[in-house]
Amino acid sequence: MLALTGLGKTYTGGVQALSGFTLDARPGEIVAVIGGSGCGKSTLLRLISGLDTPTAGNVNINGETVKQPHPLINLIFQEPRLLPWLSVRDNVGFGLAHLSRAEQASRIHEALCRVNLEAYGDRLPKALSGGQAQRVAIARALVTRPEVLLLDEPFSALDALTRETLQQHLLDIWSETRATMILVTHDIDEAVSLAHRVIVMKPWPGRILDEIVIAQPHQRAGSDFDRVGAQVRSALDRSLSASAPAAHSKTRPQHSLVLETSP
Amino acid sequence: MTIGAAEPGLAVGVDDGRAETLAMSRRSSRLTFLTGRWGHAFVRFAVAIALPAGAFLLWELAVDSGLASGRLVPPPSRILVTLADLWTAGQLADHIASTCLRVLLGFLAGAAAGALAGSLTGYFRFLHASVDPTLQALRAIPSIAWVPLFILWFGIFETSKVVLIATGVFFPVYLGVSTALLSVDRKIVEVGRIFRLSGFDLVRRILFPAVLPAFIVSLRAGLGLGWMFVVAAEFMGASEGLGYLLVDGQQLGKPDQIMAAILIFAIIGKLSDALLVRATAPLVAWQDNFSRGGL
Repeated sequence: MLALTGLGKTYTGGVQALSGFTLDARPGEIVAVIGGSGCGKSTLLRLISGLDTPTAGNVNINGETVKQPHPLINLIFQEPRLLPWLSVRDNVGFGLAHLSRAEQASRIHEALCRVNLEAYGDRLPKALSGGQAQRVAIARALVTRPEVLLLDEPFSALDALTRETLQQHLLDIWSETRATMILVTHDIDEAVSLAHRVIVMKPWPGRILDEIVIAQPHQRAGSDFDRVGAQVRSALDRSLSASAPAAHSKTRPQHSLVLETSP
Repeated sequence: MTIGAAEPGLAVGVDDGRAETLAMSRRSSRLTFLTGRWGHAFVRFAVAIALPAGAFLLWELAVDSGLASGRLVPPPSRILVTLADLWTAGQLADHIASTCLRVLLGFLAGAAAGALAGSLTGYFRFLHASVDPTLQALRAIPSIAWVPLFILWFGIFETSKVVLIATGVFFPVYLGVSTALLSVDRKIVEVGRIFRLSGFDLVRRILFPAVLPAFIVSLRAGLGLGWMFVVAAEFMGASEGLGYLLVDGQQLGKPDQIMAAILIFAIIGKLSDALLVRATAPLVAWQDNFSRGGL
């Protein structure tokens, strides 16, 4: 169980990136976080991952406060960030140094199979396409079997076809691992097709504007998909129009719009 | 019945065909050689050597035809004769060995110290703030300024020479490693942090491989300076070495000996650099470099 309580971040110089962010993510829940540029989405993931320290509030996983990178939390960055001097296999196994060689090999093989790259183990990152590199990054995060997987716009740099394929990959992985996922995205369709809950953020400082719960099972399509998409779009429009720096409220929004669609 | 017997014209045609096939095969094997690994190396060598070889040839012709006297700048033929004489007298190998040994020892000591100091100041901000300004000031001191002091401190024999060469090698290696560490991409360091690497593991698994290409470049720069500093070191009263040949040539008015020593410096300097590049190439094969192809 991932719990964020009153999470806030003010950088040196007084720039307030995030304020009063509270969220309880159930085990196995996919939460999409959407909002315009500068609304603190990436800051939020950095705080949850332990890469940055919050200046207010805290992050808890299974009751334990996260103060630095935690073994049960992993982060997939916007760009693959593969280590160019390591082969695909060694990149995937980067976080497994504490395990025996046999266990490492087994987990790496399993993770590479999950992202359909079992034949690419010996290649160097420079020989991979953008989509393949991002799949390796996903495998590298999965191999440590995290309970919480953070995804920072992981498909934004990819073409539409690759993006769609990887979204399906992610859903397949989720259905096998049931990890809690926090997905930061700019893409409304991506948020609506993958998440159980969409959180719309507004900027300066970053905080929650709306929450939209999607009860419909995955493989969503048709009028329900369009309706939820329209709700998210409407909330996002309000978020973008509320982008004046004067809106420096440090409080959580007074109204949370919670909508449910029938399965 | 053979085709040749039945149709003589065709037999000739067949022979011509064979000859043509043979010629094509020879051309093809020549092309295969040129496009193969050794052929490629040969072509690169030929292109690289063309400029100095052309210059030597022109100078030889100029002296031979009387356009230049060749007294102060002797022609290549005279330099080669001098080299052969030195070799035959058994001196050249000793001079080369002495110089190479000094450069090797100075290079190893300077590179090790530079890498260590660069790693410490690159990794620890406090050390960078406190030590780097002093080292940068020391770096600005001309090599020759150290000579009297090193002679006083370490005497006139080998130690002062090796220390002077090590001083020359130290600074480019220090600067290369320190700067490279300070400019390691934050994004890949964060990958290490996500996997909870810190301290020595972070250095070993992220920082060291990340700075390796810059470290190798700094080693090459350091080695180049090592060859420069060895001359200054051998000016400090050496009785053998290529630097000694230079001083000896100047004092006895033997420009051919000076040119011969310079030529050997150029050759072994280039060979040592090529050896370093070749030895370290597998370590940085992962780099996704810009390449224009061709040579």
